[in-house]
Amino acid sequence: MDLLEITRRAAALAQRKGAAEAAAASYRARHVEVSWRDGRLEKVTEATTRGLGLDLYVDGRFASVSTSDLREDALDRFVEDAVALARTLAPDPHRRLPEPALYAGQAKVDLELADPSYEALDAHARLRAAEAIEAAARGVPGAQVILSVTASASDTRGESALVQSNGFEGTRTGTDFWIGAEVTVKDPDGRRPEEYAASGGRHRSAMEPPESVGRRAAERALARIGSVKGGSAAMTMAIDARAAGRIVGALFGPLAAASLQQKRSFLEGKLGEPVGSALLDVKDDPLLPRGLGSRLYDAEGLAARAFPIFEGGRLRSYYVDTYYGRKLGMAPTTARTSNLTWSPGARSQAELLASMGEGVIVTGFLGGNSNGTTGDFSLGVRGFRVRGGRIAEPVGEMNVSGNHLQLWKRLAAVGNDPYPYSAMRTPTLVFEGVQFAGT
Amino acid sequence: MTTTERTAAGGGQTEGIGYFARFGVTERMIAETLAAALSRGGEHADVFFQHRVGADLGLEDGAVNRAHASVELGVGVRVVRGDQTGYGYTEDLSLPALLACARTAAAVADGPARPGPAALHVGGRLPDRYPLARPWEDVRPEEKLPILAALNEKAFAADPRVRKVNLYLRDEAGAILVAGSDGRIVEDRQPMTLLYLSVLAEDGGRREQNGYNVAGRAGFEFYTPDRLDRVVREAVARTAILFEAGSPPAGEMPVVLAAGSSGILLHEAIGHGMEADFNRKGVSIYADRIGKRIAQPFVHIVDDAANAGARGAINVDDEGNAAGTTRLVEGGVLATYLHDAISARHYGVQPTGNGRRESYRHPPLPRMRSTYMLPGPHRTEEIIRSVKRGIYCQNFSNGQVNIGAGDFTFYVKNGFLIEDGKLTRPVKDVNIIGNGPQALERVDMVSDDLAIDEGGWTCGKDGQSVPVSQGLPTVRVSSMTVGGRGS
Repeated sequence: MDLLEITRRAAALAQRKGAAEAAAASYRARHVEVSWRDGRLEKVTEATTRGLGLDLYVDGRFASVSTSDLREDALDRFVEDAVALARTLAPDPHRRLPEPALYAGQAKVDLELADPSYEALDAHARLRAAEAIEAAARGVPGAQVILSVTASASDTRGESALVQSNGFEGTRTGTDFWIGAEVTVKDPDGRRPEEYAASGGRHRSAMEPPESVGRRAAERALARIGSVKGGSAAMTMAIDARAAGRIVGALFGPLAAASLQQKRSFLEGKLGEPVGSALLDVKDDPLLPRGLGSRLYDAEGLAARAFPIFEGGRLRSYYVDTYYGRKLGMAPTTARTSNLTWSPGARSQAELLASMGEGVIVTGFLGGNSNGTTGDFSLGVRGFRVRGGRIAEPVGEMNVSGNHLQLWKRLAAVGNDPYPYSAMRTPTLVFEGVQFAGT
Repeated sequence: MTTTERTAAGGGQTEGIGYFARFGVTERMIAETLAAALSRGGEHADVFFQHRVGADLGLEDGAVNRAHASVELGVGVRVVRGDQTGYGYTEDLSLPALLACARTAAAVADGPARPGPAALHVGGRLPDRYPLARPWEDVRPEEKLPILAALNEKAFAADPRVRKVNLYLRDEAGAILVAGSDGRIVEDRQPMTLLYLSVLAEDGGRREQNGYNVAGRAGFEFYTPDRLDRVVREAVARTAILFEAGSPPAGEMPVVLAAGSSGILLHEAIGHGMEADFNRKGVSIYADRIGKRIAQPFVHIVDDAANAGARGAINVDDEGNAAGTTRLVEGGVLATYLHDAISARHYGVQPTGNGRRESYRHPPLPRMRSTYMLPGPHRTEEIIRSVKRGIYCQNFSNGQVNIGAGDFTFYVKNGFLIEDGKLTRPVKDVNIIGNGPQALERVDMVSDDLAIDEGGWTCGKDGQSVPVSQGLPTVRVSSMTVGGRGS
């Protein structure tokens, strides 16, 4: 059966069982993943999977369900039980479906989220790509100390449908294609440092040639050999574009209306205020063709549009969903980030490091956490010392710590290199005066 | 290879197709699926059925005003040839869907068909590590709601600075069924529950948030008055102390880990590195080190499936293998990796019952269960007294490790500075980083106060999350890097 029809019937079932309003979302996806290690196939996973979720608005009360058991009689009983469950809860006047007016005005653009050539890929193409990744990794200078190469190739084609009983219906289809490599090398001191590289996107053409992914992973792993712990000091910190999503995510989490309403956000009351230096300039843009986070409507059916988050360092918008928006008396924007677009700098990472002179470039985080209520953070890092404007010895087993409300004001440079393989699209970021802990 | 079985008291569970009969699953269907799985020459095949029914209740702003009910029902078919794996899964439990899945997984091999099992047979009796007094299937929401309301009230009453309380109660019921091409068939009913209380407090314009959670493979009886009181007491105390806490200094110093959830040290510093898949591939810092001394002779570390009622307890692993107590480190010497069936065959040893998976959507991997260090010869007071200037870590939120480089971290939510052998100023929000083998080598004092943490820990690997437990006696590590910025 057509996925939209399944979804309509689920919403209708919820209403028949006693929900005044309901939202139904269902998905179906085909996923194939191949991994290849040290000269042969390691693992192949292939499946077509499905699921259904319902939001039930019952007598001013709210419950939700999710299930992969779509047998008719089982679903019937399950929804009936969930409606009964909702009736036992406290009423919540803020739980209603979105204002239908917000469904209107979807952009008239083709986001090109599905690659029409998806079906044309055969299993051998994945294996050939994985094999080529390994060969390239083992072909770089110094490759004799490589202990293991795991290459992977995966793709997904997913369909979803959303029906909200007060006047929304939507469907979408998307694909994604990824290749990647993990390389482990032998350090003479007994450690076995690992690194990775990945590439992909909505269309097959977004993947780099497998050879460049394999080479990059191997070069990165080899560069970790002889890593040392640097001294404890306040230094300039550059963060590589690939790694920067970790620290940006910790800034964006507290922008959620749920965090504001629950008083767990260090960004409460900061609307219109400077939170970062003038270089912090970021839009949420759901309408980028082929974007990893692109969408015409969000999970609540709200028509998606671009809006500014930070302009010249000032906070311009929060992420407001319908429920917490009602609790706060704020108009909804959208619940979650789509794609982030950064006002890019003019310089490459190498140029930024050249003018930075001394410091550390962080290429990966390890553990640590960020306190969304206070803004305090403390994170494990690895990377390289920067000396005389150039990448010098690898460093690791170090921490950086601070508070986001100070950190972003010390944002001193932004690269021209947004990371294409994440919806956050972070460029290289440079911060001054960051506390490192090492020896 | 040293596994010991500690069988808990209790009735045991029946095996064979009991639970899954309600979904129309039959032995014949399983036998046909396994035969199709081996049709291309795989050496071993198994099917994994899962039914997991979850119920979540949430309290916010004084009212239990949200609930979520979930059902996961599906089956995964795996075919193994050497260390190669083919895997397929589906939510459709009909025979044609199972056969399609099996043929997909079979394609990992490329040879003449092998016969499926001639007959399926029920293995030995399983232990009963999660006996239930009140199974969740029989607990009505009306019984759970007053518990949340009472916790909310008590949390507000405990400290006038409390402004927001969030509560979350989850329970799970359901079962797994594993059947292998060796003909073995095992079914295990696996309950779980978790309660989380989070507190936001305000004091003179400053805000702090913290919480406490408890989890176990248990029924409604888990929530005794004592345990519920402890949840409120701990959540509020751990939040209140943050108002007095600051950041510790940056750099290397002695680290004392309090008994209990400090077991995160073992999980990250050695547990993951001892998972045999990483060693079989040669990518772990512990590869080729079995039989080598890596710690003081008083250091003994185990990974245990048999802690009755623990979140990390299992009666049987997700490959149908018996799960007992695995000794990772005995008297300071690396003893045994954590094996799944693939790695056990690779090393020519018995599986250790560590083959686990998040759900039917994933093939099994070597995973931890409940990881802890046995009591040692020192006393807690003596350990704290021995430190001139260092940090005492009490509560943790998360950790991570690089398997090959050995770098690992854990994030300390609450702790104290130790100055001249005494706990002085409270500290908070600090990441600690070390290197696995080096940190174990530097464990130079171990107390006799082992505690297994009752919290709801979840371990992530290869995109799969599984429930685990951990524990530790009070331990001193002579030096680690503390990610502070204070003085």
